Amino acid sequence: MDYNPYEMIAYTGSRVLEDDTIVFVGTGLPIIASMHAQLTHAPNISLIFEAGSLASILEQGMPLSVGDTRAFRKAVFAKGLCALFELTQRGYADYAFIGGAQIDMFGNVCSTYQGGTYLKPNVRFPGSGGAGAMAANCEKTIAIMVLEKRRFVKKLDFVTSIGFGDGSPDYRANAGVLGAGPYRVITDKALFGFDEESRRMVLLEVLPGMKAEEIQDLIEFELLISPDLQEMREPSEEDLMLLRDRCDPDGYFLKRKVVQD
Amino acid sequence: MSSDIGSGIYEVTSLKEDIVEKQRERKLNFGYWGPTPGDARKAAVGKRKGLHDKRMTLKDAVDKYVRDGISIGIGGFVNTRIPAAIVHQIVKKGARDLTLSFQSNSMCAEWLAGAMIVNPDHLSIKRVELAWWGYEVIGIAPLLRYLNANGMIELDDYTNYGMSARFKAAAMGLSFIPTRDHGGSDMELVNRGTMIKCPFTGENTYLVPACYPDLGIVHVSASDMYGNSRIFGSLCTCPEIAMAAVDTIVTAETIIPTESIREYPNLTEIPYPVVDAVCEQPFGGYPGAVYGNYWFDVDHFLKFRSICDDFRKTGNKDELKEYYDTYFFSCETFDDFIAKIPREKIAEIKQMDGGQPIIL
Repeated sequence: MDYNPYEMIAYTGSRVLEDDTIVFVGTGLPIIASMHAQLTHAPNISLIFEAGSLASILEQGMPLSVGDTRAFRKAVFAKGLCALFELTQRGYADYAFIGGAQIDMFGNVCSTYQGGTYLKPNVRFPGSGGAGAMAANCEKTIAIMVLEKRRFVKKLDFVTSIGFGDGSPDYRANAGVLGAGPYRVITDKALFGFDEESRRMVLLEVLPGMKAEEIQDLIEFELLISPDLQEMREPSEEDLMLLRDRCDPDGYFLKRKVVQD
Repeated sequence: MSSDIGSGIYEVTSLKEDIVEKQRERKLNFGYWGPTPGDARKAAVGKRKGLHDKRMTLKDAVDKYVRDGISIGIGGFVNTRIPAAIVHQIVKKGARDLTLSFQSNSMCAEWLAGAMIVNPDHLSIKRVELAWWGYEVIGIAPLLRYLNANGMIELDDYTNYGMSARFKAAAMGLSFIPTRDHGGSDMELVNRGTMIKCPFTGENTYLVPACYPDLGIVHVSASDMYGNSRIFGSLCTCPEIAMAAVDTIVTAETIIPTESIREYPNLTEIPYPVVDAVCEQPFGGYPGAVYGNYWFDVDHFLKFRSICDDFRKTGNKDELKEYYDTYFFSCETFDDFIAKIPREKIAEIKQMDGGQPIIL
């Protein structure tokens, strides 16, 4: 089956979501992954868009931003940022679905700047936006990233979204955040989880035909490898049809060359 | 103010010690970037509270409320219901040493930044408290990148909830609000919030200072002549910003009769006492989207962003100047600006809204 890396990411994202949950989505692939899950194994997933909608029906096409008016179509609840972040802080958002520029072995994510210093950065990114709050207070955090050495780094330039910090067991409690923390990291070539004891990133699945060492070569820090290492499941023809025709018919995210930063 | 009840972020951070120290100074010598809670309360108490017709031209409203050195709370979110018309008029009037406060914005922040680059004697931004400044799928914000890389503006980074909660705290008349985010990230080290131990649970909890802007600028779906405003689609953080600010300018896609407001009072998201100027301005959120009216103009975003990115790469301001001459300084009113957008484009973005239902 012929699929591109973004389709694999979206399909894998869909696979890791459980039914009967609320998913707090970022723009792009997280929305597509959640829509695919709704159309297949998890019909009772509801989405939160941080601009303030719950359980909207995306019948007008893909929202191009989390503030897009399309993200409010036929929602069951439409308010503002406070309402939905507070619902999340209260414990009603199961998954945070975030992107970022860099990630480290404990699942901390940078989306603030790269290079230079905080006061004079080489490249200033937009900033936390909702990501920092989602990673803090949704119950589980799923990060989506292209697998590249410059992104899977030993040390972030800036911790924008909290993961397990330095990996110490009480890091998140001392930070005052409520969610359990990093759950999965989805890339085009591998799926990662986190070791319960050490809270370090674990390689769970690799693209069919790839070896664990090849994944390690794309990562700056030392990976743990699951003793039960699996191959990533590939999308079926039907899955690809759903992704292309129903989830992102304009190809905004599945056909663009770069996954959002 | 700062606390030593930090999290383990000190073990994780890559920030250099001198930067952490410098940012810590801002916590130790904390001062609100806008009015203090006490000043804001006094200003509210001092207002005439009757129902008065507050309609005026956008020019009069901006002339009355925009001064050098003020802090401005910008409504909307990313590219939705952004107060574009008000920002357009602020750029034309000019103001120096502004403080900007918002959660996430695209065009409003970049328009102001571009005006600063074109002529800093006319308009300048001193500092920005924010969660996010960019264009989402269209790309990162070239002028934020430029100003920040050159140390030309001071930033204060929060999450989207953090900034929203800061406005909410002010809307509640408080001086701070507890949140369960920021802690354990580098924002704990660089922003002006502080970690405390909750006196009731003993758990670490992060406090952020309330944000009371001198001026709130908000674009709404509809308002009556007194400022009672309806918002459809995302409320963003507009009600909180309007209530937090000392003065608030509201632009409305349309003015509706007060009888309608009184018939459905539950639909009022911003109550009249917190509104100081009401300006009817169709397309007042353009090039952003307004739910029930029009979608955003992706092409105009792309056009402006590409001009800004060219400037960032080359340092040549000619194209940027030309943009401002064409779309700002040669326009008497915001309607003149809208008249420069091709009619077919206006028809297209109205159609792209897809007839989102609103109640007027």
